[in-house]
Amino acid sequence: MIQNILNELAADPWGVAGKWFALAPAAVLLLAAAAAVVARNLVRAALALTLSFMALGVLFISLGAEFLGFVQLMVYVGAVAMLIVFAILLTRPDRLRRTATALRGAGPAAGVVIGLVTLGGLLGVISTSPLAAGTKCAPAATAPVARIGEVLMGSHVAALLAVGVLLTAALVGAAILAIEDK
Amino acid sequence: MNLQIFLAISAVLFATGLAAVLSRANAILVLIGIELMLGAANLNFVAFWKFSPSPSDLTGVMFALFSIAVAAAEVAVGLAIIILVHRRMNTVDVDDADELKG
Repeated sequence: MIQNILNELAADPWGVAGKWFALAPAAVLLLAAAAAVVARNLVRAALALTLSFMALGVLFISLGAEFLGFVQLMVYVGAVAMLIVFAILLTRPDRLRRTATALRGAGPAAGVVIGLVTLGGLLGVISTSPLAAGTKCAPAATAPVARIGEVLMGSHVAALLAVGVLLTAALVGAAILAIEDK
Repeated sequence: MNLQIFLAISAVLFATGLAAVLSRANAILVLIGIELMLGAANLNFVAFWKFSPSPSDLTGVMFALFSIAVAAAEVAVGLAIIILVHRRMNTVDVDDADELKG
């Protein structure tokens, strides 16, 4: 494994460097996600989450799904991150005793252990799956916007209408929930 | 760059979000963990689309697109609930919202 990488590096150093550089957004994504999860300060957690959303959008774009990447940037970085910051501002804890670091009864260890067990199971399945090992090189798959529009208004038009109804219902529901009782 | 790398990235992201949901008490941080898990699922959809035998069908991209729309609705309702709980009980701690406990 390491010998193969060294041979590849000797044959085509720039190609290998480019290949690993392509994984830079993934590194940013995972580091920012970890920072968001362990942050003591809620605002810092929201900012780290925003960075991880950006890195995920860049990853989508580098995978060839440009439209989806820009939707990710607009919806998550533009709207969801802003909503979370507003929620943090509106729910400032009145008592200093309750901080963001307050943990549940079983302690943080149980959650981390369950996360690690899940990660181990997933990585085991991924590394042994013949499906994943069978696809070695990336085909030149792209998602042009015109094609996305055709598919949306063609075979997915019922789902598109349902999403419209869902977003309207969510908007009205959120407004009713958060409205002040008179 | 093969499919397994992206699936592994997605698995790490999902486990990070799961650990956050299970171990953080603040409801906003629980919501952040849910968002991370949704992002991991979307990354899986896009990776499987990229390496699928017929990428011109756009199945994975479409699924991720609708998933983002549903996640946006979920965040709006979730944060409204958090603000409501904060107004009623003066806390955003998920363990303190236990009025339905028998």
